[in-house]
Amino acid sequence: MSTSTTAKAATPSTAGGAGLTFGGVLKSEWIKLRSLTSTKVLLICTFVAVIGVGTLTAWLRGTIIEQTMKFGGAPTGLPGSSPSGMSAEAAEKTLPPGLELYGIPNGGLQIGILILGSLAVLFISSEFATGMIRSTMTAIPKRLPAFAAKAIVLVVVSYVITVVAAFVTFLISIPILHSYGISMNLQREGLLPAIFLGGLYVAGVALIGLSLGTLLRNSAGGIMVLVALFFVLPFGTQLLSLVPGKFWLHVNEYVPSVAGGRMLEIGHRDAYIDPWAGGLIFLAWILVFLIPAVFTLKKRDV
Amino acid sequence: MIEATNLAKKYGEKVAVAGVTFSVKPGQVTGFLGPNGAGKSTTMRMIVGLDRPTAGSVIVNGRPYAEHRDPLHQVGALLDAKAVHTSRSAYNHLLAMAATHSISTTRVNEVIEMTGLAEVAKKKAGGFSLGMGQRLGIAAALLGDPQTLILDEPVNGLDPEGVLWVRNLVKYLAGQGKTVFLSSHLMSEMAQTADHLIVIGRGRIIADAPIKDIIAGKQQTRTRIRSQQVSELADLLAGEGVSLNSSENETLEVSGLDAHQIARIALDNRVLIYELTPLNASLEEAYFDLTKDEVEFHSHSLANSGGPAPEGN
Repeated sequence: MSTSTTAKAATPSTAGGAGLTFGGVLKSEWIKLRSLTSTKVLLICTFVAVIGVGTLTAWLRGTIIEQTMKFGGAPTGLPGSSPSGMSAEAAEKTLPPGLELYGIPNGGLQIGILILGSLAVLFISSEFATGMIRSTMTAIPKRLPAFAAKAIVLVVVSYVITVVAAFVTFLISIPILHSYGISMNLQREGLLPAIFLGGLYVAGVALIGLSLGTLLRNSAGGIMVLVALFFVLPFGTQLLSLVPGKFWLHVNEYVPSVAGGRMLEIGHRDAYIDPWAGGLIFLAWILVFLIPAVFTLKKRDV
Repeated sequence: MIEATNLAKKYGEKVAVAGVTFSVKPGQVTGFLGPNGAGKSTTMRMIVGLDRPTAGSVIVNGRPYAEHRDPLHQVGALLDAKAVHTSRSAYNHLLAMAATHSISTTRVNEVIEMTGLAEVAKKKAGGFSLGMGQRLGIAAALLGDPQTLILDEPVNGLDPEGVLWVRNLVKYLAGQGKTVFLSSHLMSEMAQTADHLIVIGRGRIIADAPIKDIIAGKQQTRTRIRSQQVSELADLLAGEGVSLNSSENETLEVSGLDAHQIARIALDNRVLIYELTPLNASLEEAYFDLTKDEVEFHSHSLANSGGPAPEGN
């Protein structure tokens, strides 16, 4: 190689641009997300469904409180108990754990987990399926910035959709609960943390989804594992708690969906695991999938 | 400028590329020729870091591809026409690619115009024909106006107009001092486009030379003669290092003597010749000659390698 040829190779090209930047990669991933009609439809459907289920939850809990007020909260609903002898506040306190009113904005969270988690799997697995990943990794040969940008786009989108949907659900639940004589407001204990942590929880699920899509490189497989992890595993571990022995009793509390859900109950409900600990366990679950995903993405041929 | 040193790739036990060393220089079109499964695509993918080499290294414009701060301005690669999300429009695909390097929308529209995609740019890439897919792949490769262009089978599926366009484009870019490295299984296409040829077979470099040398070096020049006195002429021409072959009536193919020498002998002996045509060996002939040698030479190791290496697209 002569010096003149190297000099030629070093001349800046006329296509402009500042070279590869992380901001550029982020923008690229955002364009990818919004330029697929299927994704846009799915996001709008998720938003509507989460609010719909949340509204239904508000109405259901209102009904339960109404019933409790009528029958005085007696669990058997004995006719001897004094009718309408209970205030809404008192009736509310008799709600079984898990049905507290502060959880209403997150009533549709499971839908959000299912769809946004699947979308996260697809965000990368579809690139492997179509071959797009080769274009992506040619433009971003270090690979990890592409993964990081995908993760950030997914975290922000899932967080915003979940939190906004939760606030809309909250607003809708005000008149519904009012008709049952209950006042719903932002000052309600645990409400705001539940809304914001709900967004984090779904964002965390999206990270697990992205990692599964990266590890398995297969849309159907990734979504199946995600569903198994969040919707089948908790049932399995619940059955395990019936096995004699102290060890099995609390296994259920450690699965990602239960630990992650526990995180939303800050200051509430005594359970084996503290909400903070629940959050940390969930974080550990994210890393269990994220770290191998990052490692294999860097290592493997695409 | 692409420089590969002992570059090797194994897929499990199968050797796709067996330690190749070559360089692709700027200012000319370098063709990359080889039968299916010879390791062309694997080698090209290793250059841009899509495949991790098992051994050896390859650098582009002075450093490994991934170390460049502006990869798309350094290398434009068309490795797989289907490296596109099928549900995304061609325009959005290019826009997303351009965004990584903050390349302007103006440039995106420019490459769309250049590659003749304007009419279908807003349509989903999944519905594209093979030819349209190739054009989109070339558009993506040109986005960063790269110093080095790597094209794997660029004319595959293109119509004649497209083939001509690619041929002129790569020659133009090479003329501007850029490095152009393209593979093709169409040897006639290679003969018209490439200045330099790297021939690969079974993961090894068989030849690395200017295309003229490859055609000339492998085959002696032959001359076809038509005359009514073929047998008489054959006796006159016969001699050391001269081979004669008569396949038809009144036709003689001679190698070992050039047209001028034959004409002189004929004139001196008053033999009438009504055709005297120098026959240039075609690239096809040279290529088959090369790969035939390669297969014969490696036939014993071939049995151990357990079948052909994957083409791996």
